[in-house]
Amino acid sequence: MLEMLRQYISGYVALTEEEFAVLGKRLVVREFDRRQLLVRVGEVEEYLNFVVKGLIRMYFLKGKTEMITNIAREGELISSSSSFLSGKPSYYNVETLEPCTVLSISRTQLERAYQESPKIEKLGRLMTTYFVLQKEEWELECIRLDTRERFLRFIGNNPELLTRVPQKYLASYLNMKPETFSRLKNHIKKRPVTGRP
Amino acid sequence: MAYSASTYQAALEKLHQYLHGYAPLTRNEFRQMERFLEIREFDKKVKVIHEGEVERYLNVVAWGLARKYLPVRNKEITIQLASEGHMIHSELSFHYRVPSRAVVETIEPTVFFSISYDSLEQLYEQIPGMERLGRLMITDLFIKSDNRYFNQLRKSTRERFLEYVRNHPDMVQRVPQKYLASFLNIKPETFSRLKHLTRGKAVKG
Repeated sequence: MLEMLRQYISGYVALTEEEFAVLGKRLVVREFDRRQLLVRVGEVEEYLNFVVKGLIRMYFLKGKTEMITNIAREGELISSSSSFLSGKPSYYNVETLEPCTVLSISRTQLERAYQESPKIEKLGRLMTTYFVLQKEEWELECIRLDTRERFLRFIGNNPELLTRVPQKYLASYLNMKPETFSRLKNHIKKRPVTGRP
Repeated sequence: MAYSASTYQAALEKLHQYLHGYAPLTRNEFRQMERFLEIREFDKKVKVIHEGEVERYLNVVAWGLARKYLPVRNKEITIQLASEGHMIHSELSFHYRVPSRAVVETIEPTVFFSISYDSLEQLYEQIPGMERLGRLMITDLFIKSDNRYFNQLRKSTRERFLEYVRNHPDMVQRVPQKYLASFLNIKPETFSRLKHLTRGKAVKG
């Protein structure tokens, strides 16, 4: 479990055993059934979670429609990030789609880890930078690419989500109508996706 | 364009204050940092970075006004507006060292305090307090960008308009209407109509 996290972190910064332990001793393992809420709208997000097993989505309600803004699987982080970082109430619900195991760190513990180790602080900076860039990239793609291009790009990069995540959720995540999603999916069944559009 | 030395001093002083708002930064540390800053001056309507170039700088507006836009199918989609004290650069290009898809262009004559990618790396190496400052500034950027993203998805055109006018009355004066409309993802006609609507009665909090 910790090995998975160590792998993930090594993508950002090289930590010594001691530095990793600063983080390790502050983690808690949390397990959830499917369809459980980790945080709901209006609550303050206390944890940053690393998915060890399972699938988690983040969404809010626009009228009666669920708008999904994030889906995380094994080896990825999820949290109502803005709320976690600001300590203000969450705009989003975070809910498991499958039974899940996550490694979590609370805001207070993370702050302590930053104070204890400059390398962890650097990790924090690099990870937050990455979140900003990811968000920017997603936003730019939504502007730049049309519906079909976004669908193909997403499926190309995340083929296994197509079998794990209910179709209506994927459609919502890609901000397209379920009918459009299904039409595009039937389209590629006949002709397999070859690389980028 | 020539500005007096005291004007630059005052702007630097403001920058120090602004950074200090995120994390304590001693005068000495700020002095050290100052050496890495470049002052870049641009006339209005000048492209600071073109599409296809790799972004060399992270800029903070000392004074003036700039926007970032994405050229898409003969249209320019404005994705950021930055006035005094705000950061503006082509982030993805700057961090990943890839050609920029976005364009940064001045709206008014603008002066930037800029730091190059390499200088920024050196700064993180040399000044211990920088990691914290960097982390907190980026955290703030993330929260703001998430807020904007959420508002775009969740709020109606009218709500977005009213909220922006209420929170940024100065920008409504300074930014050409077509850029604001694009930034708020509102059709120019709708933007005009909403503006006329609010002119008669004051916007309530």
